[in-house]
Amino acid sequence: MKLNRITTIGAAGALAAIALAGCSATPSSTSTESSSAMPTSSAVTSKVDASLTGTITSGGSSAQANAQAAWTAAYNAQAKGVTVNYDKSQGSGGGVTNFLSGAYDFAGSDSPLNADQTTQSKALCTEGGINIPVYLDGVSIVFNVPGVTDLKLSGETIAKIFSLKITDWSDPAITKDNGTALPAGKITTVARSDGSGTTANFTNYLAGTQSSVWTYPAGKDWPVEGDVSKQKGGSGVVQAVEAGTGTIGYADHSAIGKLASASILQDGKPVAFSPEGVSKTFDVAAVDASNGVKGDLSKKFDYSKLTAETYPIPLVSYAIACTTFKTPAQAKLVTSYIGFIDSTVGQQIAVKNAGAAPLPDSVLKAAQESLATIK
Amino acid sequence: MLARSPLPPPAGGQTKDAHTCEIKSGIVTDVAQTGDAPDRLVGKRRAGDRFFLGLSTTAAASIMVILAGVAIFLILKGLPAITANWDTNNDLAGYQNKHWGSFGNYVLPMLWGSIWSALIALVLGAPVAIGIALFISHYAPRRLASALAYVVDLLAAVPSIVFGLWGIIVMRPFLLPLADFLNQYLGWIPLFQGPVSSTGSTMLAGGVVLAVMILPIVTALTREIFLQTPRLNEEAALALGATRWEMIKLAVFPYARSGMVSAILLGLGRALGETMAIALIISPSLLFSVKLLTDGFNSQTIAANIALNFPIATDIQRSALIGTGLMLFVVSLAVNMIARGILGRSERKGRTSSKMGKRA
Repeated sequence: MKLNRITTIGAAGALAAIALAGCSATPSSTSTESSSAMPTSSAVTSKVDASLTGTITSGGSSAQANAQAAWTAAYNAQAKGVTVNYDKSQGSGGGVTNFLSGAYDFAGSDSPLNADQTTQSKALCTEGGINIPVYLDGVSIVFNVPGVTDLKLSGETIAKIFSLKITDWSDPAITKDNGTALPAGKITTVARSDGSGTTANFTNYLAGTQSSVWTYPAGKDWPVEGDVSKQKGGSGVVQAVEAGTGTIGYADHSAIGKLASASILQDGKPVAFSPEGVSKTFDVAAVDASNGVKGDLSKKFDYSKLTAETYPIPLVSYAIACTTFKTPAQAKLVTSYIGFIDSTVGQQIAVKNAGAAPLPDSVLKAAQESLATIK
Repeated sequence: MLARSPLPPPAGGQTKDAHTCEIKSGIVTDVAQTGDAPDRLVGKRRAGDRFFLGLSTTAAASIMVILAGVAIFLILKGLPAITANWDTNNDLAGYQNKHWGSFGNYVLPMLWGSIWSALIALVLGAPVAIGIALFISHYAPRRLASALAYVVDLLAAVPSIVFGLWGIIVMRPFLLPLADFLNQYLGWIPLFQGPVSSTGSTMLAGGVVLAVMILPIVTALTREIFLQTPRLNEEAALALGATRWEMIKLAVFPYARSGMVSAILLGLGRALGETMAIALIISPSLLFSVKLLTDGFNSQTIAANIALNFPIATDIQRSALIGTGLMLFVVSLAVNMIARGILGRSERKGRTSSKMGKRA
């Protein structure tokens, strides 16, 4: 029938129009105006060569994902001929595996290469892979208790809550920390069901500072068994805490949305999350834990150095790159991109767009020096 | 899109053999062909016939090849972890925070989780699906039936991750009051025991969402089977004074039994392999448990475990995860074979007993 044919042609035309529109759309620049707000004093700069062309293939940690998207957009604004692909669905482990197989130019990972992986990387890059810190953030303790907007908890109380030793909000330990008594109610702890760098950082903190209460090993999988609600992904934890009552959980600070974050008592004073606080932690407590390869900047946290100005639960994410690339052109490309990330401007972009904390200048300078050794 | 179960040959009517009809003064008599007609047919096979024969044989063979390929991949990639020493290997000794000792100890709780969640989905979903199919084929007026069939088929088009998100945002809070009620009044049954979840990440929520996911598959297949019931049988039952329900019991169900089992098995297959929805909805633990209403005592399923742990796994850990996938593959195959075996035996029994019935 005529009507049928017209509608078929019309539908096909509409579909084609939609499909072609999808092809032609260029990624719209996500807030590159932040790159113009540059701090002028003692900034670590990195000049981006606008004539560079090529493709960077990378992937890994999902904690870096938002920051990577912002960095790519800002980098592309200056070097239009470069395509940067960052696959965040791989996770830190997938990123490292692909890096070791040679598929990635660099990998994003929440933990640096371990001894085995460093040995493996020597087959790929003559001297081995190096870990360069690119992203700094903190682990927030989020909570949802009806009628409570401000929560102060000491490290010991946090350890007791998450190891299921404290089960009610009216517990005297919480009252002591907070100043006022909270309404009684069951505490439901929310953790990650998938292996994650956030869990690793949080359990590192707990095992490092509260070893008498937290008897579990630090690791990527949540170790506590029992009445724990485990959710997939940081967004899953945030969603569950939001939807429940009397819930408490932990998540990467950039993912917490409108949930309130608890202040952690350090030397008797409550320390709320702030980018400056986390940067200070890195300045003060980060200890070199090099994997042996020249130029490696892996860090470990010495929690005994924490003060009342440092946020106690930092999270560092690395870019793992080879010391030698197949072609000098590729080396130039990758070092240019990572150099851009590890500059004051790049770090401010992450702060503005991904809610991260800026890496201190000392680390940025060291990173630029390490990058200079890559050929 | 939908696989069709093998349908029994159409009742009455034409058969494949060539018959010539002689029409003598209004009476049609069938005259069977002589023996050499089939030979003549084979000898005259045209190029077109040979082409289509080749095409369909290739398709059938390729299914076999793909299945074999998947099995071989699973075995090859999974073997390193299955045969590794789980006590001494650094990556496996404390994998997922437990000291397993052997691959068997690692995979068994998850195998139970897969089977248990699929069972719940079947118990909740299959009766509803069969009910819908029955309604569409025998009770509903024609227009409503086709509209309903269309809507149920639409459900199959929803991606499983969307089901997962729907489960998190809608089903979990929705089932919380029910969970509280069941725990309060029926808490003595092991199924409903335990500290009731406050976030709703329970096996019950996962089971309900899984049931909704297998609805379209089971309904579509069963509906087709019910529609194929020979009208003569149905009318005969009704003529003997049966009510609508009795007619269905007498004429439709016996005829459709093999098809229903196929449909349910397909639904079971989907439920066993469902990954994203379970990974998002259920708060998992690696233990044997039948509790439905808790946060911390839900047996993790194999597919969800792979999805959650593959990204951060090292090489040998990936091999362990693929090994668990192999176990799921084997169990799915076994369940299918057992079901078909039982069906085959009951069909044979049914045939002999119906003969007895005729004599009586």
